[in-house]
Amino acid sequence: MFMLAVDTGGTFTDLAGYAPDEGQIRFTKSLTTYGDLIDGIQDCIHKADIPVDELEFFKHGTTLVINTLIERTGARTALVTTRGFRDVLEIGRGNRPNPFDLFYRRDPPLVQRSLRFEVTERMDGRGDPVIAPDRAEVVALAEQLSAAKVKAVGISFINAYLSPAHEERVADWLRDLLPADVFVTRATALSREWYEYERAATAAANAYVGPRVRGYLSRIEQQLKNDGFAGRIFMMGSMGGVLSLERTLVEPIQIVESGPIGGCIGAAAYAEAMGLKNVIAFDTGGTTAKCALVQNGHFAVDPVYYVGGYDRGFPIKAAVLAVVEVGAGGGSIASVDEQGRLSVGPRSAGSDPGPVAYGRGGTEPTVTDANLLLGRLDPAKFHGGELKLDVEGARQAVVKRLSAPLGYSDEDSFVRVAHGILAITQVTMAKAIRRITLERGQDPRDFVLFAYGGGGPLHAVDLAREMHIPTVLIPPEPGVFSALGMLLSDIRVQDSVTLLQPLNEAVLPGMEQAYQTMEAALRRTLESDGTAHDVVFSRSAEMRYRGQVHAVETPIADIKDVKALRRQFEEVYRARYGHADSVNPVDVVTLRAAAHSRMSRPDITRLMQLPEPGSQPAFHERNVYFAEAGHRPTKVYQRETLPAGFSGEGPALIEEYGSTTLIGPADRFTVGSLGEIRVSIGVEDRQARS
Amino acid sequence: MTVVPKFPVAIEVDPIALEIIRHGLQSIPEEIEVDLTRTAYSPLIYEYKDYAVGLVDAEGRLIAMPRGGIPLFLANVLEYAVKDGLRYYGREGLEPGDVVLTNDPATLGQHLNNVVMYTPVFGLGGSGDIVGFMTIIAHWTDVGGRYIGSSASTDSTDIFQEGVQFPTLKLRRRGEPVPEVYRLLQANTRFPEQTLGDMEAQLSGCLKGRALFEAMIVKHGQEQVLAAIQAMWQQSEAGAVAAVHAIPDGTYVAESFLDDDGVEVGKRIPIRISVTVQGERMTIDFSEVAGQLKGPFNSGAQGGGVTAARIAFKYLTSPSDPTNDGSFRPLDVILPDGKFLSAGPRAPLARYSAPLASVVETILRAMADAVPERIAAGHHASFGSHRFHGHNPRTGALFSHLDTALGGWGAGRDRDGSGPLKTMTHGDTLDVPVEAQEAMYPLTVEAYGFRQDSAGAGTYRGGTGLIKVYHVDASCNLAVTFERFFCPPWGLHGGSDGAPGYVEIERPGQPRQWVLKASDIHLERGDRVFIYTGGGGGYGPPSARDQALIARDIAEGYVSEQAAADVYGRRS
Repeated sequence: MFMLAVDTGGTFTDLAGYAPDEGQIRFTKSLTTYGDLIDGIQDCIHKADIPVDELEFFKHGTTLVINTLIERTGARTALVTTRGFRDVLEIGRGNRPNPFDLFYRRDPPLVQRSLRFEVTERMDGRGDPVIAPDRAEVVALAEQLSAAKVKAVGISFINAYLSPAHEERVADWLRDLLPADVFVTRATALSREWYEYERAATAAANAYVGPRVRGYLSRIEQQLKNDGFAGRIFMMGSMGGVLSLERTLVEPIQIVESGPIGGCIGAAAYAEAMGLKNVIAFDTGGTTAKCALVQNGHFAVDPVYYVGGYDRGFPIKAAVLAVVEVGAGGGSIASVDEQGRLSVGPRSAGSDPGPVAYGRGGTEPTVTDANLLLGRLDPAKFHGGELKLDVEGARQAVVKRLSAPLGYSDEDSFVRVAHGILAITQVTMAKAIRRITLERGQDPRDFVLFAYGGGGPLHAVDLAREMHIPTVLIPPEPGVFSALGMLLSDIRVQDSVTLLQPLNEAVLPGMEQAYQTMEAALRRTLESDGTAHDVVFSRSAEMRYRGQVHAVETPIADIKDVKALRRQFEEVYRARYGHADSVNPVDVVTLRAAAHSRMSRPDITRLMQLPEPGSQPAFHERNVYFAEAGHRPTKVYQRETLPAGFSGEGPALIEEYGSTTLIGPADRFTVGSLGEIRVSIGVEDRQARS
Repeated sequence: MTVVPKFPVAIEVDPIALEIIRHGLQSIPEEIEVDLTRTAYSPLIYEYKDYAVGLVDAEGRLIAMPRGGIPLFLANVLEYAVKDGLRYYGREGLEPGDVVLTNDPATLGQHLNNVVMYTPVFGLGGSGDIVGFMTIIAHWTDVGGRYIGSSASTDSTDIFQEGVQFPTLKLRRRGEPVPEVYRLLQANTRFPEQTLGDMEAQLSGCLKGRALFEAMIVKHGQEQVLAAIQAMWQQSEAGAVAAVHAIPDGTYVAESFLDDDGVEVGKRIPIRISVTVQGERMTIDFSEVAGQLKGPFNSGAQGGGVTAARIAFKYLTSPSDPTNDGSFRPLDVILPDGKFLSAGPRAPLARYSAPLASVVETILRAMADAVPERIAAGHHASFGSHRFHGHNPRTGALFSHLDTALGGWGAGRDRDGSGPLKTMTHGDTLDVPVEAQEAMYPLTVEAYGFRQDSAGAGTYRGGTGLIKVYHVDASCNLAVTFERFFCPPWGLHGGSDGAPGYVEIERPGQPRQWVLKASDIHLERGDRVFIYTGGGGGYGPPSARDQALIARDIAEGYVSEQAAADVYGRRS
């Protein structure tokens, strides 16, 4: 049997395949094919010589959903609301996140006004029905929808979070009345939380991407079957686990984010295998750096996600693994503005034209150019030598576009400026790490920095030093780590419901019952998918002091004791904000339940074939610039030659296909049994400075 | 290494170190802001964003302020609050661990709900001189006065009717809470839990910000940090100077007016403003605006006139740059005492902010010919606040629910107006969801949608206003403040005015009551309240509008067939 994961990303399609008999993993990479994404997948499968007919499962992450939403290439979609509220989707919340932009405008709604329809129905603010929907009216509506040639319909009613009965009824009627190829979805099937705009936007987005996802998945399924595929397809879900194909077809919005999620799952799997409790997953690519927290195998999840960003985009009420992303990657451009201020990113040269050193027409210096000028990248060996880097071009660009306007006149100032580019990049990356930790009440010093992606291993050590993080881990194959993570992913489904009750004895039975109802539903979902294996449930609740709106997510162990629940809430609250109140009444706003179902997966202790223990790897030396030490002769190793147990001292570089690990003069590293590189951050320079 | 600065940065600081310090300084108030919005008890802070977090230097000059709070605190309120403290206590009278608060109307010039809290930051890890202050201004839910919520008044005639004054008091001395002050605060608010809860959030923000600033100074060295701050100011100043320089020299004038001050009903309030651009300086002259008002629509010089001038200046010169003391150096403001934007210390201020959106856009209107590509037609400009308050029969507790209007914004030279949004004096301010209102208050919203034909016509039309219909489920009282009914959102260059906003009250069996400003309208269960919000003004003659756009507006229902025929001359 064979297991396969393919991650279609913005630039590359990555594959990781594993046959337990072989005991070794196969990796490959192809350029993402925008004409038809499936071509890139097929390309990878052929390159890696994967026996499709032997596959147990095919796991897949794709940018299809987010790209459909951002590029507005989804289906002709209608929205059906409570009478009086069809404009909810366009009114939004009326805020202007750019307060001094006189022409501020939000991205237009996914459904234009003439395709937003109303139905006479109402639930009141307690969830009691006031006006029931009338089938005759819905019959007439169905005719209008057909006449308007819509391919997808989202339904979202006021106060349905308290009681979805009317939404369910109207959805059933419409499914009945509309042609079978029209995708019908309702908001409360996706989110049972309050706030009508956010839920309506979620229903609209789910409807909008539904037909396209359905078409895409049926083609993949067909093509795989043509090649003899008899296994099951799973899709990488945003909340940190895979979903069955069947569930994805109903709730495609659950796969809005996929690439970063695979990496986080991989980080969690390695953390578990190495017995690490607290890990920051840190992924740097061409345009951005992303980080996420993994604690005891758990991810933090954000309850709302903004498609197109908070400033102009729209919200989706779908649990998305909490990832902080900043505009700092290898292609990030360094520039000097009219006031003489040096900045790096968020503009990126991407892969086309790419950094100046690529020699493909890029003229603005980038982070990659800076790394090259400091000796951290080998101009002859970039991407295994597939791309020769132009050092002189990069130097001239830095001198002309940065050193001169900043007022540096020395011959060698380009080194100082190149280092400045990296220092500023590091500040931006550090901000991301501060946000993901401090804003959740965590201390970064309690974490291991787990770095992957093309650029993660190059920046992680300096970043850890700045954040006083003592240990950095570089997993095997950092360049295709997302696909590896997907291969390791289990199934995860989740549900939530807004309760909005005071925390007291009287509410406990209701809480317990709500959790049990959700858990039974989750189990049914898994069972009907045939994916219920060793199901583990976890519960949490969003709680707050009465009068506050922002609630904090509190893990719930046992619903017997109000005092214990309150204590747990206050502990989380205090960790996050530094203070807590023991008197003010506490409200329980939202209950969340998640179900986790095990899948067969590779044994990561046997994934990598390392050289014989004790073998001495060859190395050569080259001059590399370090902030505290200046230029230093530095040992350069090839990663595939490092055996388990090998250890060395900085300064050092460890090169491999698609990534380079930088180790500073004061640091030490060892290679672990899983093939991971563990760097212990030295402290000398810190002591020297203070 | 020699550094030859190309830019006129007089202070020697390495440009790379400067960037790193700039990022660090900017992220201090950003981090505090996130905490504040998450720990605050009052929706006025966490949804309305009626707060500002600022790091200021030892003399109160602004170092860094994030963009999350509303623009109304761009001005010197933080600076003047700190200056007032320095005047009372002297530098030696401010000790490590002290926390000071003030809402002094003579200093801040804003309603008494706006309370500034600050704490001194000492150099050398806390043992040196004062190097700056961590400051936070926040709108407190209630500080006493005649009306629930204090600032709900539309008919107060002096400041004493509007609440209690805290004229620079120490909340903490050397880190120890001053119990007398806590008792005073507790005794003077109708919502002690919410108000003191917000104050705690404000306090922990001040303390955390102080610690972060102290850590920065330890890390980068005091001299270098102070030099970097000077350089940041100079760079922002250089940016603003360049922007002013690019505007053609001249004196530009515009005029508008407000409906009335709620007390002298029907007496218009003229706003005549001249803007003079000469080389690198801009002067905004308020000499001809109305004098101090009897009703509560006054503001003090710092919180009123200077604030409005700064918001307009920021819109014109550096909309996307972070704000600091340097941002406003090319701006001069002429503001004689005794105007409604520079009212005396006893003037009523409850609704101080309501006129400011109109003042800001009147300044912008003056520039419509000088920089036509940057100036939009008029926006709804009305806070349109509607506050329901009374006893909630479901909980038995007092409730007070405030929301403000979303309306249309003005069209530009090459685009239709945007919206619905709050006013120019708001920023990332969130409308309250209908579901939250219905869950928490005895109110039902029956409809919330676009108001057809409310947009001003033009080659490009304004944004469309809204209609919101409330059904009252339990007897309560309503306060409303609508503005710009008689001077509706103006069109530019031949565009038409937008429709103004107003409120109607429908009681069973009675004709609808039309309202613009009122403090205490009694409502019974079954009454309905109709909120009409304004549309934005149009730009350019309607006759030049693209027929396809008119057809789209009709198909989408923003414009009626009738209006298309009447205003655009369209024949169907």
